Amino acid sequence: MVKPEGKLRSGIRYLALALILLVMVFPLLWMFRVSLMDVGSSIGMGRLLSGSVTFRNYVDLLGAGNLGRALLNSVLVGASVTLGNILFCFMTGYTLARFRHIANRLLFVSVIVVLMIPAHIVIIPFYVLMLKAGLYDTYWALILPFLVNPIGIFLVKQYVESIPPSMEEAARMDGAGELRILLAVVMPLCRPALAVLAIQVFFTNWNSFLFPYILTTSDELRTLPVALALLQGHQAVDWQHLMAGSSIAVIPVLILFIVMQRQIVSGVTAGAIKQ
Amino acid sequence: MNSPKSTALVLALPWGATLILFWLFPLVYSFVMGFTDYRLLVADYQWVGWSNYRELLLDPDFRAALKNTFVFVVGTIPVTTVVALGLALLVSQGFKGRGIFRAGFFLPSVTSMVVIALIFTNLYQRGGYVAMLAELVGLSPPEYGFLYDRGTALYSIMAMDVWMSVGYYMLIFLAGLKAIPDELYEAAEIAGAGKLRQFGAITLPLLRPVALFIVVINSIKSFQVFVEIFVMTKGKFDTATAVYFIYSEGLATHFRFGYASAAAYVLFVIIAVFSVVQFALLRRREALW
Amino acid sequence: MNRRCLLAALLCWLFGAGVQASETIEWWQFWTDPGVKPTIQAMVEEFEEANPDIKVKLTDLTWANGHEKIVIAFASGKAPDVLELGSDWIAQFAVHGHLAELTADALKDSADFRGWSMATYQGKVYAHPWILGTRVLFSNRDLLTKAGYEKDFIPADQQQFKEAAFKIGNLGRDIYGWGSNTAEKHRLYKKFLPFFWTAGAQLFTDDNKYCVLSSKKAADALRLYKELHDSCGYVATQRGIEDAFLDGRIGFILSGDWLLKRIELEKRDINLVSTLMPGPRFPGRSFLGGEFLALAEASTHKAAAAKLIEFITSPDNQARFCKAARSANPSSRAAQEDEYFRSNIHLQTFIKQIAMAKHPPVDPNWVEMETAIEEAVEDALFGSGLVAESLMKARIKIDKLRRQ
Repeated sequence: MVKPEGKLRSGIRYLALALILLVMVFPLLWMFRVSLMDVGSSIGMGRLLSGSVTFRNYVDLLGAGNLGRALLNSVLVGASVTLGNILFCFMTGYTLARFRHIANRLLFVSVIVVLMIPAHIVIIPFYVLMLKAGLYDTYWALILPFLVNPIGIFLVKQYVESIPPSMEEAARMDGAGELRILLAVVMPLCRPALAVLAIQVFFTNWNSFLFPYILTTSDELRTLPVALALLQGHQAVDWQHLMAGSSIAVIPVLILFIVMQRQIVSGVTAGAIKQ
Repeated sequence: MNSPKSTALVLALPWGATLILFWLFPLVYSFVMGFTDYRLLVADYQWVGWSNYRELLLDPDFRAALKNTFVFVVGTIPVTTVVALGLALLVSQGFKGRGIFRAGFFLPSVTSMVVIALIFTNLYQRGGYVAMLAELVGLSPPEYGFLYDRGTALYSIMAMDVWMSVGYYMLIFLAGLKAIPDELYEAAEIAGAGKLRQFGAITLPLLRPVALFIVVINSIKSFQVFVEIFVMTKGKFDTATAVYFIYSEGLATHFRFGYASAAAYVLFVIIAVFSVVQFALLRRREALW
Repeated sequence: MNRRCLLAALLCWLFGAGVQASETIEWWQFWTDPGVKPTIQAMVEEFEEANPDIKVKLTDLTWANGHEKIVIAFASGKAPDVLELGSDWIAQFAVHGHLAELTADALKDSADFRGWSMATYQGKVYAHPWILGTRVLFSNRDLLTKAGYEKDFIPADQQQFKEAAFKIGNLGRDIYGWGSNTAEKHRLYKKFLPFFWTAGAQLFTDDNKYCVLSSKKAADALRLYKELHDSCGYVATQRGIEDAFLDGRIGFILSGDWLLKRIELEKRDINLVSTLMPGPRFPGRSFLGGEFLALAEASTHKAAAAKLIEFITSPDNQARFCKAARSANPSSRAAQEDEYFRSNIHLQTFIKQIAMAKHPPVDPNWVEMETAIEEAVEDALFGSGLVAESLMKARIKIDKLRRQ
């Protein structure tokens, strides 16, 4: 749909877009700006442009405060869950795509069904389960339940289905074992889907609040969103520090967003279109 | 490890284990717990039949939480969907700098809800930016800030939610728009149909499945709104939602697991019914077209 | 055979001696502030020196998650031997049998301590008072003078207090008469209840059968509270109110002793006076709370734990701790006689107010009742504005809680 547009129309469109962009982006810009402001000074509108610029708040939070540890936790848990998902979703997606017996059909149905189940229903049972298993307030509680994400399985299955099985059959005829075929032949081919999966899972995990909050209680195990939310509850914390903490949570996301935008968008639209 | 059968078994194991341990078992456990008076602090518990559900029906806090949840869902979904579609239409045509706008609109939806909630807590406070905007257009903001007033607190949170999620759904609409073949529009042009007619006769109907998908997953998410409430108001000023209720009954102070599980199942059933009804309604209308 | 017997006996002796040699008890407590923690540690070390066969393992809790940790500990059978509990938490653990009743031996010096009623549930005592806290009225002398009062003026009753607050509120745009807390959980009720009790209202009838939160006296108290809030109230969080008060912008606030600590640490220059809560005709009643040390019923080291409790709550250690914390009042009368307290007029106000303060009922559902009361106040102040109705709703909720 490419039509020649008058200069006026084009101008109005750009204006509208720019206004909307401002609305969408302003809160985050504000967050970054305030995070760089000195604690003593006011953060009122007048000071946005003229006010101080200091990294002091970041230093405070990462150094003495809990946020350094929380950042580490988020990275550790995020990486573990992502790696786990890459492996396990690949395994499951592959088997659903290639092996066609009844048990697999059932398995596939189970994936769809779980996708539809709202997460809130498992909060309390998770809590009790972790308590009874002695895993409450440990890294395991933050990682184990989230190692196989139905969306990831879906992504891999669809992708593998689009790959002709000829290469695998050739490798099989050459006498290679199943494991070898999987890891050396199919997995490299699935890199695009796995990249999309990885970024999707990492984001969901990085930003997740409810489960990490419920399943842990010690400061040493808190992830970034949880530590931030609790920081706010503290009497003594000011906006400048809060926004610095928020920025710490947003910057990695921003970086990944710029670097892997295509994959991110892909992940969002993938499930939708097939439906 | 060479036979296909044994391979398939091993491959299916991770999901199988996750499914049973972390989905099936909790679902059943939660269901059963809803019929007991199980609490964390007390060693023994007993079967109480429907008593939890009866108590829930009479509990003014639960009723308020359900009401707020409904208001949230019904209030945000149409707005989010329409705005997302609007944004998608704005950005769907090729023009310079389109990528930047697309990215900018999408950015809020990849940040953590906690961060957004913290930022907006400041923006909504007494004398904050939103209050200033309100005064600019002639409205008088609530005296103590938008979050400290029963009339505006929930709606403020809803507005924030719409702001955050439109970018995400915009992307989905964009993909849907892209999937509509250009030939359809060209044919309509030739037949003499104007832009508006094209939109109504081609775009909207073909976007229907995408819109349905968006509405359904948005509903499921919105029914479970929790983080915003927890960070911004802790349920005060009539903002407690169903999941917040479940949290405060089951995982705070008195840890009434049985009662909270029953509440969780009530919400579950509501979500399930809502989704099914949505599917049925929206698909039937498609057939009518 | 003889050798074996000897070996067995030797092993038994060694093993037995090993068991006798030291037992470890766990203590969970909330004082993690770097200015105070060293004192706790020093006390623990002294205790260990005085009792070489007892080792104390200290665990820190924060107010954000301490309650949850304690609940989980009791539920999973991993509770510590000694734990610090806020006064409003005692009943909920006592009712399920998690706390050990204090022995007659532990109660032998009970007359020396204040606050036993907060640890008594259904006639039995479940914790030992350690530190008490209350709220007193702080007034800014400079603002009073500006409003036309004499240098030494102190409001003698509620009527004078109200008038003074209004006058100060009229002094200027940025000056307020009264610091009114916004909707903060677990704080707002402590500011309202002093007014409530001072007006002569009660939460429950004398026979404890019915909740009378919506009595006429209660409504009067809430109306007065609302009047102050509406006409001259500076509405903010506790911290915000303190900031504004220390900046000299508020005439009167109700606050605890941590304000004194802040003034000292931040070297604030403010001309203030602390007085008892003003009542209709005579000094009114304020809010009383405190920190207690409890012993877990499931503990296998009860004797050692009891010794630790006795040590920490001894008058000398209380005095020493309160001095280090600079924001705590001892529960021991002997400790209150210490020169440190006698020489500080503000601390004296606190000690006098403690003698005239009331505490909430010792009830397992107290925390939920507290929420209901807070909601009533919030509704009257920020919501519908209706006093009688809000109190009525809260009363119904509380009645329902008690019937559970």
